[in-house]
Amino acid sequence: MTNIMDFTQNMVEVVSIICIIAISISLVLLLYRVIKGPSNPDRAVALDAIGVNIMALAGLLAVLLVTTYFNDVILLIGILLFIGTIAIAKFLEKGVIIDHDMD
Amino acid sequence: MSNLAALPIIIPLISGILLIFLHNRMTVVRILAKVLTLGNLAVVAYIAYYIYQNGTITLEAGGWQAPYGIVLVADMLSIILVLTTNLVAVAAVFYAPSSLSNKQEHFYFYTFYFLLITGVSGAFLTGDIFNLFVFYEVMLMASYALIVLGGGRIQLRESIKYVLINLFSSVLFVTTVAFLYSVVGTVNMAQLAERVGEVEQKGILTTIAILFFFVFAIKAALFPLYYWLPNSYVAPNPVVSALFGALLTKVGIYSILRVFTLIFIYDPNLQQFFIWIAGLTMLFGVIGALSTNNIKLVIAYNIIPAVGFMILGIGLFNQTAISGTVYYLVHDMIIKAALFLLVGAVAYLAGTTDLRKIKGFMHHYPVLGWLFLLATFVLAGIPPFSGFIGKLLLLQAGLASDRVIIVIIGLITSFLILLSLMRIFIQCFWGEKDNDAYTVDKQAARKFTLPVILLLFFSVVLGIGAEFFYPIAESIGKYLMNPEIYIDSVLKE
Amino acid sequence: MSRPNDLILRSTTSLIAFILFGFSIYLYFAGHNAPGGGFIAGLMVSSAIVLMYMAYGFEAVNKILPINYRYCTAIGLMIAVLTGVGSFFFGEPFLSHTFGYLYIPFFGNKELATAMLFDLGVYITVLGITMTIILSIADDR
Repeated sequence: MTNIMDFTQNMVEVVSIICIIAISISLVLLLYRVIKGPSNPDRAVALDAIGVNIMALAGLLAVLLVTTYFNDVILLIGILLFIGTIAIAKFLEKGVIIDHDMD
Repeated sequence: MSNLAALPIIIPLISGILLIFLHNRMTVVRILAKVLTLGNLAVVAYIAYYIYQNGTITLEAGGWQAPYGIVLVADMLSIILVLTTNLVAVAAVFYAPSSLSNKQEHFYFYTFYFLLITGVSGAFLTGDIFNLFVFYEVMLMASYALIVLGGGRIQLRESIKYVLINLFSSVLFVTTVAFLYSVVGTVNMAQLAERVGEVEQKGILTTIAILFFFVFAIKAALFPLYYWLPNSYVAPNPVVSALFGALLTKVGIYSILRVFTLIFIYDPNLQQFFIWIAGLTMLFGVIGALSTNNIKLVIAYNIIPAVGFMILGIGLFNQTAISGTVYYLVHDMIIKAALFLLVGAVAYLAGTTDLRKIKGFMHHYPVLGWLFLLATFVLAGIPPFSGFIGKLLLLQAGLASDRVIIVIIGLITSFLILLSLMRIFIQCFWGEKDNDAYTVDKQAARKFTLPVILLLFFSVVLGIGAEFFYPIAESIGKYLMNPEIYIDSVLKE
Repeated sequence: MSRPNDLILRSTTSLIAFILFGFSIYLYFAGHNAPGGGFIAGLMVSSAIVLMYMAYGFEAVNKILPINYRYCTAIGLMIAVLTGVGSFFFGEPFLSHTFGYLYIPFFGNKELATAMLFDLGVYITVLGITMTIILSIADDR
């Protein structure tokens, strides 16, 4: 029984570390996409994906460190990401982020 | 009674916030700003008297004990500098309405002015090196807002330089504090002073000391790092220039004075280094002052040799020299503010800052002229005035420790300072009447003169009343040479 | 040419903005012993307001939230400073804080600290500053 417990614990750790490495690589690739472009919508999508990856990183760290304090942080990153993406999307579509008068 | 130490920080802060609410009633704001500044001056004067009678006040903020919490330490040196700051502030607030345009006042000038006073007073009073950084930031934030006030083209160009250089030095400051914390394990100045002696590896501490010196030298405008100062201090309105010239560089000097008489005192090479820096600062600063025809720029360059004199005192590092530095610090804060305000008035009345285009001011504004001559004498250190006593102490200390070269440099610099200011006096005030160049406005001139008279009055009192002030400076010098007194009063062992 | 409308943005905003307000209040109260506090709560509430500005435009939001955010900053700073000064009246050093236990219906016996009032000041200040910065950058005329 303890054997299985140890094994699962080890497995969770190893899997989290592998995931963190994979996400880090994808972050680098996404960063390349943000800088290179070629068009602005590409950049917007890449930034959005970076945010999702950072949320995943925080979640994995929470698993590794066995804490619940990161849950608020993940929610927070998600909200800021959502607003940021909307702002970029609106800027690309309309050229302004906050219109003076919509109607 | 320990809460007295926090009052010079809290009163301007609350005043600044209060004035945001009255933003739309400019006349009320003007009157209230004057009343609050005077009230603050009165409170600070009372605190100074209290400290003079009863000794240092330490305030442990939030009731946290000294090495763990943040302490505010109001000793004689701090409170005298805060008092001088408030004196300059009073002059500035009376000068401001006539010099600033309505639009500039409307951009929350008085709020930022009070926040600047908060930051400067806080930096003088704090007993914690990280808190010093915080108050530097408060002060710099306010100064960023003040320097772009109005938003002219030259102002924007100069303020971007000012902001960048100060951001850089702030980053360096906080990094250095982190270094220091990792080596010594505390940021409380008194405990630092105790523990620095126990650290085995002095090499890393010397590195940290030089980093600190670099940071403070950028703020204080010492020799290789003064290049940003003159232009960016000339760009804003004269009131703002006067506040900057009188207060900001002096905070840098105060930090050097505090840190290098309390914490990093074990290395004599550092002091040798200070003396050379002081000599070069004086020479290059005064050459800058002679090289330009812009009257505001002449005064701005004159900040630099004064800084050199003060660093010289810290470099010589004996009781006479430190007393001289303290005396000179107070003298220089008052007289620099007065000179900036005077030159601002001249530039406003003449409509130009070019030395060669202003003539015969004496015929129209005799009071302004004589005040300028008086200020020149005070700054250059003609005997009965306060500049003379500060310089005398510094040069005496220099001679006593056999550093003749630096004394000669000091004397030459004093002479050249006199020359650079006499150039303005002879060109602008003396000479033929020139009626076409500008319209005479005696009403405006009178408004400008009142605050200047106030400052010069205190400056002259500081010189003539040296019998009374010298013992105070001497006791501060003695106090700074014995860091144990400071440590005991903070840690209460 | 048909003008693009923001139907999805508008309908989600009306939901999400209120979730954000609630989350900000949660963060504010969590701040005493856990991650959170006045600063991040202020940022959350301002992001909710920015979202509303993005969805409905200046005019509409100014009508439903007629707040001058500069005064907001001043009020927040005033609260924060006054809680520090409040300790003067009890003869304690500047910025001293205290706490007590209070019975609140439904929630039970809860710890209440005066540091929370200071945090309220931070909350309002951050809200005011963030909104002032964003609105003055976005206002292009």
